[in-house]
Amino acid sequence: MPLRLLKYALKKEHPAPRFFKSLETPKKSYDVVIIGGGGHGLAAAYYLAKDHGITNVAVLEKGYIGGGNTGRNTAIVRSNYLTPEGVNFYDASVKIYEGLSEELDLNLFYSTRGHFTLAHTESAMRTMRWRAEVNKHVGVDSVVVGPDEIAKACPELDMSCSGQAPILGALFHAPGSIARHDGVAWGYARGADRYGAEIFQNTEVLSIDVKNGKVCGVKTNKGYIETKQVLSAVAGFTPRITEMVDLETPIVIHPLQACVTEPMKPWLNNILVSGSLHVYVSQSSRGELVMGSSLDPYEVHQTRSTLDFVEGLTSHMLDMFPFLSNVKIVRQWGGMADMTPDFAPIMGKTPIEGFYLDAGWGTWGFKATPISGKTMAATIANDSAPDLIHSFRLSRFEDYELTGEKGAASVGH
Amino acid sequence: MSFRIPKQAREWLNRDKKINFTFEGETFTGFEGDTISSALWAAEQKVLGRSFKYHRPRGVLSLANHDINVMLTDGTDTNMRGDIVELKEGMSLNAVNTIGGVKKDKNSYIDSISPLLPVGFYYKAFHTPRRLFPFWENIIRKAAGLGVVNFNYPRILKRKQHAHCDLLVIGAGPTGLTAAYEAAQAGLEVTIIDENRHAGGSLGYNRAGDKASVEYLDDLLNKVVRHPKITLRTDAYAAGYYPDHLIPVVEAGGITKFRAKAVIVASGAFEQPPVFRYNDLPGVMLGSAAQRLIYRYSVKPFNNGIVVTANDYGYRVAIDLLDAGTKVVAVVDLRSGSNGGLHAAELYRRGIKIYPGHCVYEALATSDKSSVRGAVICAYDDKENIALAANKFTLECDGIAMSAGWAPAAALLYQAGTGMQFDYGVQQFVPNRLPEGVFAAGKVNGIYDLDQRMRDGIRAASDALRHLGHSVAPYAIEKHNGPSPSHAYPMVPHAKGKNFVDFDEDIQIKDFENAAKEGFDNIELMKRFTTVGMGPSQGKHSNMNAIRILAKIRSLPVEKIGTTTSRPFFHPTPIGHLGGRGFHPHRLTAIHDWHQAHGAVFTDIGAWKRAAYYPAANHSKEDAIQAEAMAVRKSAGIIDASSFGKIEIYGPDAAEFLERFFTGSYISQKVGSCRYVLLLDESGVVVDDGIASRLATDLFYLSIGTSNAAAVYREMQRSQQEWQLNIALVNVTGAYGAMNIAGPSAREILASLTDLDLSYESFPISHIQEAVVAGVEARVIRVAFVSDMAYELHVPMAQSQHVWNALIEAGKKHGLRPFGSDTQRLLRLEMGHHMPGIDTDGLTNPFEIGAEWAIKMDKPYFIGQRSLSILAKRPLRKQLVPFVLASNFNADMPMECNLVIDGNEIAGRVTSISYSKFIDRCIGFAFVTPAKKAVGSEFQIRTDSGSLVTATVVETPFFKNQIKSQKGA
Amino acid sequence: MKLLTCPVNGTRPLSEFIFGGEYRQAPEQNSCTDAEWAAYVHNRHGAPGDKKEWWYHSPSGTWFIAERNTLTDKVSSTYLLSQKNLNEEKAAQEAGK
Repeated sequence: MPLRLLKYALKKEHPAPRFFKSLETPKKSYDVVIIGGGGHGLAAAYYLAKDHGITNVAVLEKGYIGGGNTGRNTAIVRSNYLTPEGVNFYDASVKIYEGLSEELDLNLFYSTRGHFTLAHTESAMRTMRWRAEVNKHVGVDSVVVGPDEIAKACPELDMSCSGQAPILGALFHAPGSIARHDGVAWGYARGADRYGAEIFQNTEVLSIDVKNGKVCGVKTNKGYIETKQVLSAVAGFTPRITEMVDLETPIVIHPLQACVTEPMKPWLNNILVSGSLHVYVSQSSRGELVMGSSLDPYEVHQTRSTLDFVEGLTSHMLDMFPFLSNVKIVRQWGGMADMTPDFAPIMGKTPIEGFYLDAGWGTWGFKATPISGKTMAATIANDSAPDLIHSFRLSRFEDYELTGEKGAASVGH
Repeated sequence: MSFRIPKQAREWLNRDKKINFTFEGETFTGFEGDTISSALWAAEQKVLGRSFKYHRPRGVLSLANHDINVMLTDGTDTNMRGDIVELKEGMSLNAVNTIGGVKKDKNSYIDSISPLLPVGFYYKAFHTPRRLFPFWENIIRKAAGLGVVNFNYPRILKRKQHAHCDLLVIGAGPTGLTAAYEAAQAGLEVTIIDENRHAGGSLGYNRAGDKASVEYLDDLLNKVVRHPKITLRTDAYAAGYYPDHLIPVVEAGGITKFRAKAVIVASGAFEQPPVFRYNDLPGVMLGSAAQRLIYRYSVKPFNNGIVVTANDYGYRVAIDLLDAGTKVVAVVDLRSGSNGGLHAAELYRRGIKIYPGHCVYEALATSDKSSVRGAVICAYDDKENIALAANKFTLECDGIAMSAGWAPAAALLYQAGTGMQFDYGVQQFVPNRLPEGVFAAGKVNGIYDLDQRMRDGIRAASDALRHLGHSVAPYAIEKHNGPSPSHAYPMVPHAKGKNFVDFDEDIQIKDFENAAKEGFDNIELMKRFTTVGMGPSQGKHSNMNAIRILAKIRSLPVEKIGTTTSRPFFHPTPIGHLGGRGFHPHRLTAIHDWHQAHGAVFTDIGAWKRAAYYPAANHSKEDAIQAEAMAVRKSAGIIDASSFGKIEIYGPDAAEFLERFFTGSYISQKVGSCRYVLLLDESGVVVDDGIASRLATDLFYLSIGTSNAAAVYREMQRSQQEWQLNIALVNVTGAYGAMNIAGPSAREILASLTDLDLSYESFPISHIQEAVVAGVEARVIRVAFVSDMAYELHVPMAQSQHVWNALIEAGKKHGLRPFGSDTQRLLRLEMGHHMPGIDTDGLTNPFEIGAEWAIKMDKPYFIGQRSLSILAKRPLRKQLVPFVLASNFNADMPMECNLVIDGNEIAGRVTSISYSKFIDRCIGFAFVTPAKKAVGSEFQIRTDSGSLVTATVVETPFFKNQIKSQKGA
Repeated sequence: MKLLTCPVNGTRPLSEFIFGGEYRQAPEQNSCTDAEWAAYVHNRHGAPGDKKEWWYHSPSGTWFIAERNTLTDKVSSTYLLSQKNLNEEKAAQEAGK
């Protein structure tokens, strides 16, 4: 048992300090206002302070921190994308994640499990090869493997999928990991708080003041805040914020759902994704199977659950793992995903001076938390986006220069 | 020794049938109708499970279908719930999550080191140094989890049903039964469900010595069961509420998806434990659990019990205990003053000692911790909610029944979007804004008195009737009178803790206090940090107390704390039920059986099963494909193309429709000719292509690829809705079978079955003719997709097997052989045709594949035209080129999606590649940078092994045309 | 599962329908700027509220318009696009009289 836990047994008073201050009312002005106290917003606040020395920062969260998609995703981290831009970006995120528990001194249970994207059709195999080739090119560990290797890693998997969709192969991505999602938000919140950033929960932005094309302040339910720089990091709520500054974007909201079983002893070590069967699944350190599927098929600004989702998902889970028939689903839930036409985020500057966008995270935002925080902090500090996120700029749509992730996003988790 | 008592009225047992089973290796006997928990408790087995975190011994807590302390395995199934699963002959049961058995669980040491494991401990350690984390993680993962999954458990295919009713009543207690009866009397079709094996709810067990309650229940049940308009389903729970009153009802046999016009939620309330040190010992149970043991299973909960109560309910429990032959040592009431009304008076009369203003400071365990041996009692300050432990004393007992109050079973109401407010009169959340068509009654509505509950049921029925358009007068709204059924703060702080709030997750009061100290002081953050309510019982016995504790910590009224979001499922629901039978529809052509009989290997394309190739014995896939392709080049081959999309566009505006929908020109297209069609989306990206054949001025016959056909047709329908042209669209994909006979002998073979003039002059390439082939009316199209000498025959689906057979027969002497879709891919490549979806991706525009020739920019409009005009001004980023490898190439063969590498940069990728035996070269398509597009340019492909292979850009087709002179080729 | 009312086939479960996105009118393509066209092609009105949407009843092949609030997920009306145009024309004519 680690010695660090001894103090809890020995001290009379609980020796752990607050993670973050409990602040009620924001100051009159800040250098930077970050809208959204999820992983991304909090990471941006953390790196603004750590990398750029900017600490006069307010993070405004209308609910509680990490209560949006940070706390609703299935906590998968990977970088096996299709385009070199995507792979480089997510790889940078994976590298930060690998040392993040130590950096934040909070155990994020960053657990490297290996990630199989199963292919059931020849065309899926082609896409796997494409991704593997691009990944290898930029130095990311992804390879196409055959059924034997999959069966060896996961002997419980029915390789024929009940005869419905025999597995032809997979893309195996060794660095694929899962993490404790809440911890990521809390760790960054604590880090940002210690540097002096101020986090306000239950604080909702009502409007954003723009004069002569420049941001000059935000109105909240707790008063007006003067600021020249505003970052929107509000996955699922982006269109409501961009509407405040009359900014058009391609983002539409589709719910993404997930569900979890009761705990069982560990048996599934890898993360498995099947595009054809629309399933992704891993087993958490608590022993629950955490499962998701594809996006809900229509736009709705709700986090409601549907029966269709869980029926479809479990039916396909049984194709893969027939022995789960009597394992029980405990809970299902939903999040709201910012979807873009090319399945890549929208990051960086906008036509409005001082208004920065960290959006369009669709179903892949959690894995990008550290690197999005870092690059958005750099964008704000320098009023210029780093090269790493150049291809994610908003203007790519007007330029007809969409990113090529579309091909890999059938189930893009 | 046995806790079994004489038969109680309406017990759930069949005493005629004894059931033998084993638990942890020991043999026991119960009765049919027992649950595992009741049978074990009857046998005085108290340690039935171990807790999730500290591995503390646990027994019966609630017996209310969420008693997760008793989770078992029978070797086949796992995480079986002892309070739900009925006993069966020969069961061999063990508790889950123990090492060495439930009594001597080796992991029980964790309980003694619990100070080392404060709330959220796993966030605070094990991560430094980083390299050791996998070691710790392994230990933690193994310690976590409950049962072990059996990989040989059979796949269970449960049926699913749909059902409709006017009114669905959830909960067949006195409230629900009354509501159902009232509504049915007024003419509604009513279904009433209850998760328990028998209806009646609390009327069945909450008797407090009142013998009449049994008769009352009988009467009510009789009325309901006999009513022709009421269906009663027991052992059936409502798993969740989904929009538009969709409620999946789960039974052993499967799920029934109810769609009700109105819903009455009469789901009652969960009894909540008071929180004191060692309130989790086996033998400490909820008052209602004790009552259920007595009246459902005729089992007494203990011999000498203490009742600790914080409401009047505990007094009722005490009477039931006495009636069951249990000695009641004392009733300890957290509240001061005289409480309990008539029941208290009766207890006095029966000589029971009552301690108002007192609490159980802690329960005392027997030396082996398997049971209770006593309780430390002291005065309780009900204002400050602290124990005044100075004058504590000990009472001996072997069990404690607890009654502190209730939490509404409101999950479905929350999921339906009900607004709830905290009612201090009953100390619980009650609905104050119900969604349309959803009604609440009884305990879930804050009504506890039996007569009041019945009236509330009638009131809800009248509300539902009015919602459904019946004219009935509003019924009076009930309001709770008298002392609150729930205590505002039934917690007893203790310096040494182990006063459990959440029994699933072993969470104590101090865990909440410490979580708040660390900043997790709103309910959602607290839930996530402490994991309260996240275990298998989903907070049914813990969420309300957690809210109270947080309110206390923050000195806020309870309603300011709010509740966490309620999500399906109400009870954990098996994957087999939810997944059901599974449904994998696929489409077969009319010739499918023939392919199968001839050894075809099938591939899935869209919804279709297509023959990919026909492997000969001892030959590889590659050999089969090359042989089939050679047949097409040297003699003849035939492919079943029935899965192609086939759409008729009929009407005066048919050509105009195509003009707008596709990129080319169709107004000028001659009747009898065929033209290439290319479909773009609004952003100018290539979607699909195909062939449009003009059969008449006002009739086009369109054939398109298999996988996109449904989507293309759908988009055509949408465009027609917008454009409102004078046309009709008919999808004849399933009406016509299609086959393509190709190769030098194709004409001769076909000629033997038709009178049609097949000379190249009268039937050139890219033309269509209607003719009789093998006695069947056919549309014959000369398309040059796989060969210049090819005929595509479209015949009624039902006759396609006949025509196919005739062609096969006629082709025998010419060496005709069938070929599959994999071979077709090679053949079209040899011909130099690119394929959407193979040689394009989700962003490819027509300029990048050299399809400018297919685009008529000077027409008024087509889909994607305006975007193309923008793209035309922009530099090309990539270009699809045909290429060959060196003629003597025999190294590491590149594969599709291998990258084109220029220096150290990705310069493109291979989209198609194959060795062609006919050409004796490796040929393919690749995207390259525009600088490399000229014929003769060389570029490098990196193979899987990392070696670089040089490719040379060439012209298409890859081989000289077979009929060079022909016009229109 | 929600229910949706096809103007031709009546109220059916949502599983029979395919969402076709927001109903939008393209700018006049010959007079609009490239930027206006690019915005039409790519941008969407993503904020929650009442929207006109394309829906497709798959078994019958019927495209229609649903007016739906994307926040509450409540549908206020459904109709065939052609029907609406006719109705509007009629209303305009009557107003003209």
